[in-house]
Amino acid sequence: MKRVVEIGVLLSRSGMYAALSRASRDGVLRGVEEVNADDSLDITFRVHESDPEGRLDRYAALCREILRDTPARHIFGCTTSASRKEVIPELERFDGVLWYPVPYEGFEASERVAYTHSCPNQHLLPLLDWALPTLGTRAYFIGSNYIWGWELAQIARERVLGAGGSVLGDRYLPIGDTEIDHIIHDIRALKPDFILNSLVGESSYAFLRRLSALKQEPGFDKGFTVLSCNFTESEIEATGGAAEGLVAAGPWFEPNGGFGGSFHEVARQSVHELAQLLNGRPGAEKMPLSELLNTAIRAGQKPRLDATHLHARQPAIIARLENGRFNEIKCVAPVRADPYLTHRSRAPKGDVFLKVVP
Amino acid sequence: MSHFRTENVGGSVAWILHRPHPSIQGLVRQLEVIGLVVREAWPELPAEALGADFIFYDADTGHNEQFPWAPGASPMPMIALIASEAPGRLRWAMEMGAHAQLLKPLSDKGVYAALLVARSNFDLAKSSAALIADLQNRLSSRQTIVRAVMIFVMKGKTEAEAYDLLRQTAMAWRVTIETAAERLVANHSNERGTDDGRHFDLA
Repeated sequence: MKRVVEIGVLLSRSGMYAALSRASRDGVLRGVEEVNADDSLDITFRVHESDPEGRLDRYAALCREILRDTPARHIFGCTTSASRKEVIPELERFDGVLWYPVPYEGFEASERVAYTHSCPNQHLLPLLDWALPTLGTRAYFIGSNYIWGWELAQIARERVLGAGGSVLGDRYLPIGDTEIDHIIHDIRALKPDFILNSLVGESSYAFLRRLSALKQEPGFDKGFTVLSCNFTESEIEATGGAAEGLVAAGPWFEPNGGFGGSFHEVARQSVHELAQLLNGRPGAEKMPLSELLNTAIRAGQKPRLDATHLHARQPAIIARLENGRFNEIKCVAPVRADPYLTHRSRAPKGDVFLKVVP
Repeated sequence: MSHFRTENVGGSVAWILHRPHPSIQGLVRQLEVIGLVVREAWPELPAEALGADFIFYDADTGHNEQFPWAPGASPMPMIALIASEAPGRLRWAMEMGAHAQLLKPLSDKGVYAALLVARSNFDLAKSSAALIADLQNRLSSRQTIVRAVMIFVMKGKTEAEAYDLLRQTAMAWRVTIETAAERLVANHSNERGTDDGRHFDLA
């Protein structure tokens, strides 16, 4: 006889980043279906869902409602860092845990958040470690004007300069902005070896479409490569083929060219991770997450989440978008998250990478 | 701001001067997550703590004798752990040299920010103190230079000629203008006092 464990879902079905949050939501719901159908587990999940509609001011109130008005302690949700920061005080006050299934910029380790996707030592740094010796060291950064874009550029700048490279430009666009003439003008003049694109949503699609047109101009056909730590399969369609050649980093890519990508897969994995932790432990959903993880580890389980900082161990896969699907270029074995980048080896100053001549 | 991350706090040693209490665990956890080595002490910091990179100290029950250095003279950034906001306690915490603060009950929030703010304030205070010492030094040198110039002026030079002579003298002696001025003034005093037989041909 399976016992019922109630969980919350707080993912937007509309708004600026709906393509991403819907991929996460589909992944959570798929995971729930799979857990509920799995007779080897003694639990089924019952979902209490709220839709923040991509509006920042709705997250805290909806999180509070779930924690106060339902028995759910574990909530799967949030896409942006801003919304995650909004719900943390509610999690503290009403004793909840947020399962946060998307990549983020690091520099946080709340006792109430399970960071199940990846942070910069699992996406950005492996991507640059591949790109600098392969593509060249003349970099251009562009991002949406908020913490994700700023922090990625900051970390990348340090890595690129540490490798003896140069940062030719560092530009930010308001979220949703698609006015990018000045940036295309920059890129045409500067001819960087690679562009780190940390734009999200519509800005990113518009930028990729304009770049694709730029590549038709004489002298640009073999030009720059676009890199991204947040572009996944779920956005290929929105770019209408303009993202071809883009190189992305993430913990997972669709093996058969599907459209959910790592946002879907990691959300699905997260539901399974919680199910494995709660299986055979009635009432364990009320335990603090670190205690639950330590209990599981003592029992011989191997959760992805680290019991100390609650970030997942994940592989770092580098893949190139070719003919509408991501093909793996390089795979770094699962690595422990380093949210404050304090454990990484410092990039040696003036290190000269050899450029691979194709 | 860009120097923050390159000044990596990973591997730094932090001492926590606080009586054993469950509320400290949040701080210990977060420091370890950030990548620091954590040591705890109570009621006194051992001399070993002189080598620490950061000190977290209890502002509520702390007193001067707990520290192996004089108030305000810590050789590393200090972070006050505050519950009571009574002015007397806050004054003591500031006199000890709080470069940043955290409010109790301590949690997973604000620790990284406190480390970076404390280090930045500490570095700023240190460089300001060095700058002030240098300026004070120059200020007193300035008076000596004016006195040296006055010696030349009394011997019939214009002020411009006197400054030029001082500069030439410093070059000839291969010393700074401040040092040359000091020697000239000292020599002049000697000439006027007991004549010890040493003479400089000032013209």
